[in-house]
Amino acid sequence: MEVAFYLSGLVAVLATLRVVTSINPIHALLYLIVSLIAVAMVFFALGAPFAGALEVIIYAGAIMVLFVFVVMMLNLDEGVAAQERAWFKPRIWLGPAVLSAILLLVLVATLWRGDIGLVIEGETLTAKAVGTALFGPWLIVVELAAMLLLAALVTASHVGRSQSPDTRGDES
Amino acid sequence: MSQTATALIAEQWAVGVFVLAVLTLCVFTAGVASLLGGRSWGRAKSLPFESGVVGAGSARQRFSVKFYLVAMLFVIFDIEAVFLFGWAVAVREVGWSGFWGAAVFILILLAGLIYDSRVGALDWAPRRRPPGPAT
Repeated sequence: MEVAFYLSGLVAVLATLRVVTSINPIHALLYLIVSLIAVAMVFFALGAPFAGALEVIIYAGAIMVLFVFVVMMLNLDEGVAAQERAWFKPRIWLGPAVLSAILLLVLVATLWRGDIGLVIEGETLTAKAVGTALFGPWLIVVELAAMLLLAALVTASHVGRSQSPDTRGDES
Repeated sequence: MSQTATALIAEQWAVGVFVLAVLTLCVFTAGVASLLGGRSWGRAKSLPFESGVVGAGSARQRFSVKFYLVAMLFVIFDIEAVFLFGWAVAVREVGWSGFWGAAVFILILLAGLIYDSRVGALDWAPRRRPPGPAT
């Protein structure tokens, strides 16, 4: 399990690095999908299969569909790569890189001061346990999530409505 | 140790055979097609083919934002499917209270689906032609 954890973690880090440095948006999206699947594998290795399945279904499945739709609508052409290359200058990426390096230093220092004998392991939390908890004591939260999704459905239908109201009766 | 390994193999060999069969089928169809199929090259061969008509214009046209709406609805119902997945694997443990909870959950989102279909958010096309058939 430790090997699986470190290997998929390495894949996630490398793929995310390529997401940032990729010039072509579609290539960046493909690397982002690989990165999300690697994170799902990390969840599986840590013993959380439900979180891993969630990662694959929602992030690698649904959210990436949204991203691909956005890229499709942006109508990217040949000029995009040149523009990206022009934007990809040290002056632009130095600030975020330095700030992320500070965060990395904090993380490494925290890990260093902590217990060095910790290993990658944990109780496996099965999907059945999650479902039992979700539809047992946390049932109200599920219904609240349904309300939230209902609000999202209604909002989405209004966002997507065309500017000029159609002449035909909508409320037939 | 070898006892458990043998038991594992006895339990899982069908999956291995399945994976092997899938790989063999893919390699077989691709390999035989590349061996048996004829090849021909030409200038017209590399043109995009569209029912005998030479393609015109650019592929980069503007898409309606309605398609994005469909993707958003897909994400919402995907999350509903995740909740129901959690319920489905624990359907015996949570019993009838979990069943009614899931039923209320589905009904709330069904109300949203009916609302969207009545409001016309589920129509793919940006503008419907008056006499057009429902597609």
